[in-house]
Amino acid sequence: MSTAQLDRPAPVAVDAPAVRRGALRRLGELRETSPGRLQLILAALLVIGLLTGLVAGLTANAAGAGTDDLGNRAQPLLVEAETIYSALADADTTAAQAFLAGGLEPPALTQRYDTDLDRATTALTSAARRTPEGGDTAAAIQQLASGTAQYAALVATARANNRQGLPVGSSYLSAASNLNRDTLLPQAQTLFRTAQNEVDGGYGDARSSWWVTLLVLLLAGLLLALVLAQRRLSRMTHRTFNVPLVAATVVTAILALGAGGILTAQRTHLHAADVNGSTPVALLAEARILALRERGDEALTLAAHGSGGAYEEDFQSVATRLDGANGLLDKAAAAVSGNAVDDVDDARVKHDDYVAVHKKVRELDDGGDYDGAVNLAIGADTSATFSAFTGDIGTALEDHKATFTDEIGAAGNGLGLLSVVGPLLALVICALAFAGIRTRLEEYR
Amino acid sequence: MIRTRIAAAGALVLLAVAGCTDNPSSTTTSAPQAAATTPPAAAPVDTSCQPRKSLRPTGTLPTPGKMPAGSYMAEIQKKGRLVLGTSQDTLLFSSRNPFTGKVEGFDVEMGRQIAQAIFGDPDKIQIKVIAYDKRVPDAADGTVDLVADTMTINCARWKQVNFSTVYYDAGQRVLVSTDSKAKSINDLGGKKVCAANGSTSLENIAKVAAKPVPVGLAGFTDCLVAFQQNQVDAISTDDVILAGLAAQDPYAKVVGDRFTEEPYGMAMSNKHPEFTRFVNQVLAENQANGTWKATYDKWLGGQFGAAPKPPVAEYR
Repeated sequence: MSTAQLDRPAPVAVDAPAVRRGALRRLGELRETSPGRLQLILAALLVIGLLTGLVAGLTANAAGAGTDDLGNRAQPLLVEAETIYSALADADTTAAQAFLAGGLEPPALTQRYDTDLDRATTALTSAARRTPEGGDTAAAIQQLASGTAQYAALVATARANNRQGLPVGSSYLSAASNLNRDTLLPQAQTLFRTAQNEVDGGYGDARSSWWVTLLVLLLAGLLLALVLAQRRLSRMTHRTFNVPLVAATVVTAILALGAGGILTAQRTHLHAADVNGSTPVALLAEARILALRERGDEALTLAAHGSGGAYEEDFQSVATRLDGANGLLDKAAAAVSGNAVDDVDDARVKHDDYVAVHKKVRELDDGGDYDGAVNLAIGADTSATFSAFTGDIGTALEDHKATFTDEIGAAGNGLGLLSVVGPLLALVICALAFAGIRTRLEEYR
Repeated sequence: MIRTRIAAAGALVLLAVAGCTDNPSSTTTSAPQAAATTPPAAAPVDTSCQPRKSLRPTGTLPTPGKMPAGSYMAEIQKKGRLVLGTSQDTLLFSSRNPFTGKVEGFDVEMGRQIAQAIFGDPDKIQIKVIAYDKRVPDAADGTVDLVADTMTINCARWKQVNFSTVYYDAGQRVLVSTDSKAKSINDLGGKKVCAANGSTSLENIAKVAAKPVPVGLAGFTDCLVAFQQNQVDAISTDDVILAGLAAQDPYAKVVGDRFTEEPYGMAMSNKHPEFTRFVNQVLAENQANGTWKATYDKWLGGQFGAAPKPPVAEYR
């Protein structure tokens, strides 16, 4: 007490020009007295405490929203983009095969075409729902939707003409195929790439690294401030502990540990979702896209009846991208885990089988046996080999899609709790700090 | 018949302008036809030869399956099949039968008769569908042994390939919608008129005084698709091809007189004159023994009535 008396300065007369700086000066003057210093410490603790609470809430909120967006929008959009692409590519291949078969389209192929179109339009509708208006993605979806309608109309005309035995039917089919290959598929590919970028961006949003850094700094600052305040108090008052401040420190530590635990778990799950979910899903999706393109190229080479060299070249380059050294199947094999490893291995074998059959188809066609080539290409055995191959990829894809869903769900755990409990605990800390310092302040009254 | 095609209507007009392949400078290059190609209207009519006159045949045919050694026919026999270049969308002449998936028609039958003469079996034939603008280059470089694809014999083409004698005489007319007031191509000034790229028809449209706008597409049936979708106002090509198109669309009619003469011949490489003589001998025998008439009756009789006299073969 005596020291406090000594520290107190003599009253100073305030001159007029200094009034502007009055507030600052009063703040400066507070440092000169013991109760003033206590008030400053209290203010600092309250400010840091409240900020920590606010940032804890916002961090949890941002990370939670980012995780939700990734799980409920960006990743599903990617999957839908792949569905749109593969459904359209498959529809085109199916239409070309039905054309190759001659006569009335085989019912199985008609049904498959209808299912494809159905899948494409359903995926388009739900992709549109996930996309905000006005962006590139929305424009791509809109173009795809109108293009798909136009495509379906052309194919319907082709069928109607085909039913009457008119060769113009095949020209309609080829107009439809051109629309599909030259316009729709590139748009679907763009959509797929955009979705992939959004997934990559989504991981950044879900991690909310800036918020987390700020929260860590504030928590560290709050702990440091509490420790310093207590050291100062114990020197000023010669009491070792100020119980409310000790309690505040403990609560801060709990908050730090809790937030740290939740956010670390979130990041671990996000990492797992990326490595075991998004990455293999994207690779497998692209592999399926390329596989369907191979099959389409084969049918179109045959349909071109001798002038389909460009399609065959495309087949070869696609096959290399798919199964060449460091091709997509290589990358997918490295990325998958669990049951999917066997699926991808199996897919490789099936792909080799399919490429062997394709080679035979080309040999037959180039050797003049067109009918034999067509029969082999659209025959049940070849179709089964190819379906088994895409089926394997599909199974692996579903596996990893499930992994993604699980991990992203786990990543979101606790974030909601943190966004509520974080600010509450910060209020508790502030209240304890206030209580601890107020008792000391009262002693100066 | 799915070929690489450009569907964008805007590009069509450009293509049409560039679509002249009878100009030798453009057929010898494999580069895509650029807009710099001489427009069809500017190409002068080549009268440097008598296009209907082909090489004189030998007089007798070798026994099928026993082609003379060293001849191109022996090479084909060794290969085991005759490769015929044609289209698959020209109803009556060479079109894909949607029910069987097979390409058939008057032109295909001509090719099958050559296969019959070489092998004794008309089925020893491989049909290769080629684009109209590939007919000359593919025949010239031996990609196909023979082209039978409603192909007009003219002097510009004679410079790169050999033609058989005339096996059919056609002429160009115009197809319009049933409610059109046009009575001939001369009433279609400023209207879009479609033909296949690389065909003489496309050039002829550009030569019409009334100045219709030529639009080139990959094939004539593609023209029908464009016509049905109101992207072009008319289609103009040889009467027989138009008949095949009109048969597929009850809202289309063929109007006007023939305004060109289009003698059809089979094209082949000019490196093997003995093959041209052989083909001419087959044609001459089939015209004499009634096979030509029977083929006409089978494929064209339904549309055009009784068979006329076959074209008179002329030789050099």
